[in-house]
Amino acid sequence: MISVENVSKIFNEGTPQAFEALKSIDLELAKGETMILMGVSGSGKSTLLSLIAALDKPSSGKIVVEGELISKLPDLHASAYRAKSIGFIFQHFNLLEALSVEENVIAPLINSGLDIKTIKEMAAESMQNAAISHKASQQVKELSGGEKQRCAIARALVHEPKLIICDEPTANLDRENSLKFIEILQSLHQRGKTIIVATHDPLFEALTFVDKVVHMEDGNIVGADSISAHN
Amino acid sequence: MNEILLSNEVIVYLLSETVLYFLLFIAFLATIGLLKRWNFDAFTTEQFALENRSYLVMTIIFFVMMLKVVLLPYFVYTIDNLSDLIPGAMCGAGVVKANEYGNPLLALKIIILFLSALWLSMNSIDLKEKNYPYLKLKSWFFVLIFFLLSTEYLLDILYFTHIETTNPVSCCSVIFGQTGGANGLPFGLDIPKLLILFYLLFALVVLTTVSELAVMSIIASLLFGVIAYYAVVYFFGTYIYELPTHLCPFCMLQDHYFYVGYLLWGLLLLGLFLSIDAAIMQSFFKQPAKSLKRISLLLLSLFVLLCSAYVAVYYLKNGVLL
Amino acid sequence: MNNNAFLHFLTLLLFKQKGKHIGAVLISVIIIFLLSSVLFISSSLQSMLLGTLESQSDFTVSRVQAGKAINTPSAWMDKVLEINGISQVAPRIYGRYFFAPREESFLLVGVDLFDEQSSKELRSLVKGLDLKSFLSTDSMLVGEGVKTFLSEHYYKEYFSFKTPQGSFKKVKIHQALPSGTNLIANDMIIMPIELAREIFGLGEDEVTDITFNVPNDAEWDNIIGKLHLLFYDVRVVEKREIVKAYENLYNYKGGLFLILYLVAMVTFMLILYQRYSMVYSTERKEIGILRAVGWSIKDILKLKFYETAVVVLVSFVLGVILAYLYVFIWDAPLLSQIFLGGANLPNHVSFVPVLEFGLLGSIFLFYAIPFLAAVLIPAWKIAVTPPKEAML
Ligand SMILES: Nc1ncnc2c1ncn2[C@@H]1O[C@H](COP(=O)(O)OP(=O)(O)OP(=O)(O)O)[C@@H](O)[C@H]1O
Ligand SMILES: [Mg+2]
Repeated sequence: MISVENVSKIFNEGTPQAFEALKSIDLELAKGETMILMGVSGSGKSTLLSLIAALDKPSSGKIVVEGELISKLPDLHASAYRAKSIGFIFQHFNLLEALSVEENVIAPLINSGLDIKTIKEMAAESMQNAAISHKASQQVKELSGGEKQRCAIARALVHEPKLIICDEPTANLDRENSLKFIEILQSLHQRGKTIIVATHDPLFEALTFVDKVVHMEDGNIVGADSISAHN
Repeated sequence: MNEILLSNEVIVYLLSETVLYFLLFIAFLATIGLLKRWNFDAFTTEQFALENRSYLVMTIIFFVMMLKVVLLPYFVYTIDNLSDLIPGAMCGAGVVKANEYGNPLLALKIIILFLSALWLSMNSIDLKEKNYPYLKLKSWFFVLIFFLLSTEYLLDILYFTHIETTNPVSCCSVIFGQTGGANGLPFGLDIPKLLILFYLLFALVVLTTVSELAVMSIIASLLFGVIAYYAVVYFFGTYIYELPTHLCPFCMLQDHYFYVGYLLWGLLLLGLFLSIDAAIMQSFFKQPAKSLKRISLLLLSLFVLLCSAYVAVYYLKNGVLL
Repeated sequence: MNNNAFLHFLTLLLFKQKGKHIGAVLISVIIIFLLSSVLFISSSLQSMLLGTLESQSDFTVSRVQAGKAINTPSAWMDKVLEINGISQVAPRIYGRYFFAPREESFLLVGVDLFDEQSSKELRSLVKGLDLKSFLSTDSMLVGEGVKTFLSEHYYKEYFSFKTPQGSFKKVKIHQALPSGTNLIANDMIIMPIELAREIFGLGEDEVTDITFNVPNDAEWDNIIGKLHLLFYDVRVVEKREIVKAYENLYNYKGGLFLILYLVAMVTFMLILYQRYSMVYSTERKEIGILRAVGWSIKDILKLKFYETAVVVLVSFVLGVILAYLYVFIWDAPLLSQIFLGGANLPNHVSFVPVLEFGLLGSIFLFYAIPFLAAVLIPAWKIAVTPPKEAML
């Protein structure tokens, strides 16, 4: 499903502030697998995720997702890829604060060519799954942290993406909400989604449904434990 | 100051053209940058910036093109209005002829609109691919269009600054009228032959477009355009004016004729643009362009129907033909 | 139906972020209001003038001496009548009467009311004019401006004209001319020709000029030639020249205004450019999020374009409606003086609504193209926000 080959990312290339955030990364992930990306702050986890989600482009190397070379896509195609295949849950939720929960959830589908009625039905279902339906018409800025996260989950999953990418999903949550989140992840895993989670939350270390744990340090992958699948 | 330059429409028109030219100039500079430094295989920040800049170019061209579609009829409206200020002119025909720049300017405008439409089609194909295969081609193409646009802008200024309000110009009946039996039709045509050709060529355009004979379709469309022009001026127009001696492509743009000229010429030009555009897309870029074809056939059919309807209505009302 | 979702989202954003656009809408409304008011006034004046001039004679001839118009012998009328293709020949006495104590003057027009055509014209001009009672005593019709002026000087019913011989001639104010004709009849007085002759002290067989019509336009140049053959000392004034002169005058005023307004438009563009650069820079995060969830540069550009188009249309409609009210309902206080200023007596004109499609189109282009052009580059800058922005 995902193969990352020899990918590096240098920020501010060619200037005195040049910084190599990723150094020749290689990574493989099969369809339906769940991978945890561990590492201290600044080790390059978010950067790697952004490359896989085509939010950014690598400075060199190749990223292939489902047979498509996404490391060098023109904008129109990169956007289509994000809109179709990726569900991204951001560290800071990144919701549109001015809008309501439902309006946030429909945002990824606006340009899909579907009519608004279908879109709203899909949003309702996704909000149902993320247990945020009761707040559908509430402004996002009035939500609690956990609710914001559930809204973010509903938005990330509304278009039924194959690949779900979470950047520090539990960093701003209490233990109870974190556990709930892990439950949702597990159910997604059971539905056959491919999942990548970047985190340094120890809660993720001993999860039974995880297929792979990758440790990063200074832009390098320092260790990858393949856990034999339980399912 | 010249009273032509103080006419509201001329000021509005020249301002609009100036603003658009300014934007086009920015697009031109950006395009030169693209042509010099574009390298799709590079992973550099510069290349990403160039990719963004290509969006600036297409946004500007799209915007300008949309407005030029509006400004062409506005230009015609402007010169039609100027006919009040210029002695002898009854409609736009005389005003266009007021100096040597008028006719080339009008022709250039139509050509530019057509080329820009082609550019936009090419652009949309380019965006569909995953590696911008036509970027260099479309950039060079834009450079060419930009030179035409610069000429157009220059002609715009020359044209409006060189209209004399003291020299009488000829009115349309002199420009297009027959003097003593001689007729203004080219290729030794007469009215019946012209009409046969008109309907035949229309059928040919439809046939070639439907059967995907691209090159034939381009030739047929161009021929149809020429013949349709003469057919409207020398035959259908007389039914619009209900006067057998009134031959003019401009008078029908006036309010006595319910501005039907804008509709008529608009349908013809747009229909031809799209049909040629579709044919080029098909033969050079291997794109089916089905919807383009459908719209172009629809527009051209409406054009032919509208022309014929004037004759039919006149016949039904009066029981005779002119 | 495809666009449905997009439009839905667009309205959402517009309503939630009204505040961002209010500034731009306000400036635009002011710009459009001023622009449309001036152009409405100038086009209304033009069409009113054309309407009033319509009923005037095609030609006016008078005798000249040393390049100055002098009294024309009535006998010329018979000679003019002999020219083929001429109709409705009428004598006229036409001149300025100066109101002695002040530097004001009236335009005095004496018409031959026993002439079929002239009296018909007058009756069509002043609806319900009772010609019998008008002719029974020495009476006159006065323009609005004259009426106001006279009543300010306590001439409510009568006015006494002073003839060149020093005697006074008392004339009854019969009624005022309809206010629709104010544009040219504001300072006008119409009276029977004999009365005018007495007031100006003209000889029994003299008039100031002779008017006539030539129904066939194609004959006009021909007729002028014939007149010059008949008389050596004649000046011919054509109506079309007057119409053109008036038309040009108001066109100039509109055009000059537009040229001055160009400066305002450039400032307007700079302000918009600044304003939208600022507004959009606050949207960086938001756009980054939309980009991250799959919106392409094209989608964002489309969103921004529609947003701007709505702002442009709303301001345009508001501005034009305000201008319409101001000019045609409230008769354009202040601004009308620019157009009517310099006249002899204070003039109050009710503008007749003229809304031409072409004029509205011109206003729209004059405003919308600079507006959209000024926003285009800021919009592009924000549209190419990298989706990575969402993560920061
Ligand atoms: N746009 C940028 N310009 C310059 N340097 C950057 C940029 N983005 C990230 N970096 C640097 O790249 C390194 C990796 O950043 P990244 O966000 O991937 O870390 P992370 O592993 O996600 O850390 P955290 O756990 O704190 O989120 C950091 O040192 C960061 O300063
Ligand atoms: Mg991070």
